[in-house]
Amino acid sequence: MALIGAQYTAFEDIVGADFISADPVILYAYSWRSGLYAGTDKFTPLFEAAVLPQNTEEVQAIVRLCNKLGLQFKATSTNWGLYNDATGPGVIKIDLRRMNRIIEINEKSLYAVVEPYVIGAQLQAECMKRGLICNQNGAGANCSALPIAAHGGYGHLSQSASYGERNMLALEWVAPDGELIRFGSLGSSGAWFCGDGPGPSLRGIVRGNVTPLGGLGVYTRAATKLYHWSGPPTFPVEGISPDYAPGEIPPRFLIRFFSFPSLDELDKAQRKMGESEIACELMGFNAAMAASNIATSNEEMVRLFQEFSGMVQGPSCMVIIVGDSPADFDYKTRVLAQIALETGGKSLDKITDDPKVAGGCLWRWLRSTASIREVFRATGCFGGEVGGTDTYRLMADYITETGKCKDDLIRRGLVYDDGSSPFTQSIEHGHTGHGELLIRYRPGAATWDGLMEFMGKANNIAINGHFGVPGHVFSDMQHDIYGPHVSSYHLWLRKIKKVFDPNNASEGSHYITVKE
Amino acid sequence: MTLIDYQQDMETCCRCSACKFIPLENVKGFEHANVCPSISRFEFHAYSGGGRLGLGVALLEKKIDYSDKLLEVVYNCQMCGACDTSCKYAMDMEVLDPINEIRITGVAGGHTLPVLDKIIASLRQTGTMVPGSRAKRGDWAEGLDVKDFTKQKSEVIYHAGCRTAYSRDMWPAARASIKLMQKAGIEAGIAPEETCCGGRAYQMGYRDDAIDQAKRNMDAIKKAGAKTLVTGCAECYHAFKVLYDKFGVRGDLEVLHTSEYFDQLIRAGRLKPEKKVDLYVTYHDPCHLGRQGEPYIRWQGKRRPGQVILFDPPKEFRRGTFGVYGPPRDVIGSIPGIRLTEMARTKEYAWCCGAGGGVRETNPAFARWTANERIGEVAETGVEAIVTGCPGCEDSFREAIKAAGNNLKVFDIVELLAESIL
Ligand SMILES: Cc1cc2nc3c(=O)[nH]c(=O)nc-3n(C[C@H](O)[C@H](O)[C@@H](O)COP(=O)(O)OP(=O)(O)OC[C@H]3O[C@@H](n4cnc5c(N)ncnc54)[C@H](O)[C@@H]3O)c2cc1C
Ligand code: SF4
Ligand code: SF4
Repeated sequence: MALIGAQYTAFEDIVGADFISADPVILYAYSWRSGLYAGTDKFTPLFEAAVLPQNTEEVQAIVRLCNKLGLQFKATSTNWGLYNDATGPGVIKIDLRRMNRIIEINEKSLYAVVEPYVIGAQLQAECMKRGLICNQNGAGANCSALPIAAHGGYGHLSQSASYGERNMLALEWVAPDGELIRFGSLGSSGAWFCGDGPGPSLRGIVRGNVTPLGGLGVYTRAATKLYHWSGPPTFPVEGISPDYAPGEIPPRFLIRFFSFPSLDELDKAQRKMGESEIACELMGFNAAMAASNIATSNEEMVRLFQEFSGMVQGPSCMVIIVGDSPADFDYKTRVLAQIALETGGKSLDKITDDPKVAGGCLWRWLRSTASIREVFRATGCFGGEVGGTDTYRLMADYITETGKCKDDLIRRGLVYDDGSSPFTQSIEHGHTGHGELLIRYRPGAATWDGLMEFMGKANNIAINGHFGVPGHVFSDMQHDIYGPHVSSYHLWLRKIKKVFDPNNASEGSHYITVKE
Repeated sequence: MTLIDYQQDMETCCRCSACKFIPLENVKGFEHANVCPSISRFEFHAYSGGGRLGLGVALLEKKIDYSDKLLEVVYNCQMCGACDTSCKYAMDMEVLDPINEIRITGVAGGHTLPVLDKIIASLRQTGTMVPGSRAKRGDWAEGLDVKDFTKQKSEVIYHAGCRTAYSRDMWPAARASIKLMQKAGIEAGIAPEETCCGGRAYQMGYRDDAIDQAKRNMDAIKKAGAKTLVTGCAECYHAFKVLYDKFGVRGDLEVLHTSEYFDQLIRAGRLKPEKKVDLYVTYHDPCHLGRQGEPYIRWQGKRRPGQVILFDPPKEFRRGTFGVYGPPRDVIGSIPGIRLTEMARTKEYAWCCGAGGGVRETNPAFARWTANERIGEVAETGVEAIVTGCPGCEDSFREAIKAAGNNLKVFDIVELLAESIL
C-alpha cells in the first residue's frame, strides 16, 4: 500500500514539503534494522512515509489525519531499538527530530522539561552547569532525555537519581486519537512539577512496566526530576577521540571496581552501600563490560577482558562516590572501605590505579557515553535478557539463573564468549534492583534460533521461579505468555489500548494490540 | 575496493545515531552537540552517516537504485568525515569510506550530476577543477623569484592547488609561503603549469580521474627529485598524503601542510616571528587537515571467523586521533600579540566549513548554510578573526561573512605568520 496523492498532500499541508517523504531512498534508511535483537532480515517493513513535525500542534494534526485515513503511526525519538520500526504496511513514521528544545530547567523546583529530541548528553551537560543532575537512560547519552521515551529508563545514575517511571513528572501527550492531554500539575495549573496532580493523572496508564513503545500515542514534552550535583560543571576532558581522559580527577571523586567471592557477598555489599547512601553510581558491571568500556578497539577489549577475567574473584560492581564536602567524601570513602573489608570485596586496581584509566571510566560512566562500546562494538548486535525491577536480590537471582542458559549458546559457538555473568543494578540506594544479561552476537539464522530458544527458557525461569515480569516483555506474544500468571494484566492492557486508541492508529505491535 | 567490500562495515551499523553528534564525552551543553551538517540541515535519517550506510546495504540488496533522490541524498554531504570520527569513538567499522564508495559506484555506473561532470570534464581537459577561469594557473607567483620544478631539480616543492591558483583572495597566502621559505633559506620549486591533486574528484566519486591525477603529479614530482611537498591547501594535503598512499603512488614523498612545515622551521630557529600581530582569533580545523589528515594505514587482510569483529592481521582504524591539530595552533601561538581561543566544536569534532565533497558546486545554498552555522559559532567566541589552513574553508567563510554583512576577518595561518616575520 502506498499513500495516494491526496493523502500525501494532506500530510504535506501539515509539516510542509521539506519535512515529508515517501521516497524509497528516505524510507529504506529508516528501515535498516537496529543492532538490538537483530535477526536475519536486514530491512524491516517500509513505512508509507516519514514526517517530521516541528511542534505539538503538528503532531496532533498528523495523528488526527492518520485516524481519519485509517493509517497507523509510529513516533520515534532517536530511533535506536527495534521497537521503532513498522511491522507491516500502512504505518507513517513520525520522526520527532525537529522537536529538540529544552523548554525549562527549573532550578528551584528541581525539574527539567524537554522535547523528545533533546538527547541525554545535552540535558546532562546543562544540568551539571547548574549544579544539578538527571538520571540518564543506561542505553547512553545519545538517547532521548524524555523520561518516557526510554524503555525502562534505568541507568548508571539510578542509584542516586532513580529511573524512568519515578522521575517522570508532568507530561504532554497526544493520545492515539489525537486528543491533547496535559496531565499531572500541567493539567490544572500549567506547571510541570508533578506527574499525578492536581489535575488528571494517567501516569500508570501511559507508562506501564515498560513504556508503550510507540503503541499509545505521542509524548511531545515531559518533565523529569533533577537531583543535586556537587561535581564540577564539566570534567576537563583531554586527548583526541577515542583516547579521552580527564587531565585530572576533580576533588571529591572516587571510582572503584570491586569483585566479590559470591553473589551473596555482592548483595550484602550493595545493600550496605545503599543503606549508607554513599554511592552516586552503583552498577553491577562485569569484567567484560568494564573491558569494553575502557578499550578503544576490539583488539584491546579482548586483551583487557582476558586480563580482568584473571583478576576478578566473582560477581562485581562499579562504584562512584562524589563527596559534597571534604568531610562527606572522607566519610563515604571510609564507609566504602569498611564495606569492602566486611564483604571480601577486592578492588580491581588495574582500573583505579592509573588516574587516566580511572578518570576516563569516571567520566564515561557518569555521562553514559560508552554504552555503545559496551554492547555493540564487539559484534555489531546484541540481545540477551532485560530483567524487571523488583528487590535487588530477586532480580539478581533471576538474571543469574538466566545467565546459565547463555552457557549453552556459548558452547554452541552461537554468541560471543564473554562469560555468562550478568550485570546487576541497585536502584535508589537499594529500594529496588534490576539485572540484565548481555549477549553479543553476529546475526545469522542459527544464532537467531538459539536466541529464541534462550528467550523461551528465560520466560520459563521468570514464570516458574516467580520472578515477576521482566523488561523484555512487550508485544502480544509476550504479554499473552505472562498475563495469565500475573492477574491477567494483559486483558487490562488490551482494554487500555482499546479505550485510548479506538481506531487502532498507534502502531502497537511492540506494545499490545486489541486482538480478541 | 568496491561497495561490496564494505558490506560488513555497513551491516555493523547498529543505528545508534552517535554519528549525528560530536563524540558524546565532549557535549558541553545544549548548543553545538550536532556534528553532521547533512542531517542537521535535511533532518531525515538518510542524510546521516548511519542512514547512508543503510542505503549502501539497500543498494547491495537491490532494494533501491541510483535514482535522482538517491543522488540528491548522496551529494548533499560534505564528506567531512565527522560521522566517521564520532562512530569510531565506540565502534570498529568504516563509515566514510563506504559513503565515498557509494559515490564511486554511482559514477562508475554513469549515475552522476551534470554540474560535477562539467567540473570533471575541465579536469580532464585542463588539469584544473575550476572550469572557465580566466587566470592562468601560475599567475599567483608572478614576480616571485622561484624555480620551476618541472625544469629544475627541487628537493622541496610547493603545491598551490586549484582553489588557491584561481582565487586572487588566496594569492597572498601562497606568495607569503614562498617568501617565508626563502627567508628560512629554502629554495622551493613550483610548477607554473601545476595540475590538480585529484582529491576533490575522489570525494565526488570520480576515482579513476583522481588516480590519473595522482600518477601525473607523482611523475612530475619524481622527475624533480623532490623529497618534500608542502601545500597550504588541506584538501591537496589530504590527497598527496593520504589518497596517494592509498593509491600506492606516494612512495616516500614527505607531505607537509604549511602549518607543519613552518612550525618545524620555527622550532629549528630558522623562522622567528617577532613583529606583534595584535589580533584575537579562533582557529578552524579543516576536515582534511584535522580528522582526515592523519596518515593512511595500509592494511590488507580479512575478518577473522568467530563472533567478535577482529581482523587478521589486526586492523588499526583511522579514527581521527592523529590528524594535524597541534602545528597550526603552535604556529599561531608563536606569533606575538595573537590571542587564540577555541570554538565549542574543535579538532576532531570541528564543524565543517560547508565547502567539501562537491557541495559548494552542487548545492551552494547548503554550503552557505553550513558555513553560517560555523560563523555563528565563531561569533560566540567574541574574536575578531577566524584563522584556518585551507583555501576552501577560507572562501566559504568569506562568502558567508560577506552575505551576513558581518565584519569578521578571515586569515590563512601563513598570512599572519608572514605579517610577524616578513
Ligand atoms: C544498546 C542499548 C542499551 C539499552 N540499555 C538500556 C538501559 O540501560 N536502560 C533502559 O531503560 N533501556 C535501555 N535500552 C532501551 C532504551 O531505553 C531504548 O532503546 C532507547 O534507545 C530509547 O531511546 P530513545 O529514548 O531515543 O527512544 P527511541 O529509540 O526513539 O524509541 C524507543 C521507543 O519509544 C517510542 N517513542 C520514542 N519517543 C516517543 C515519543 N516521544 N512518543 C511516543 N513514543 C515514543 C518509540 O516508538 C520506540 O518504541 C537499551 C537499548 C539499547 C539499544
Ligand atoms: S554509523 Fe556508527 S554511529 Fe552512526 S548509527 Fe551506525 S553505528 Fe551508530
Ligand atoms: S561526511 Fe559529514 S556531512 Fe557527510 S554524513 Fe558524514 S558527517 Fe554528515
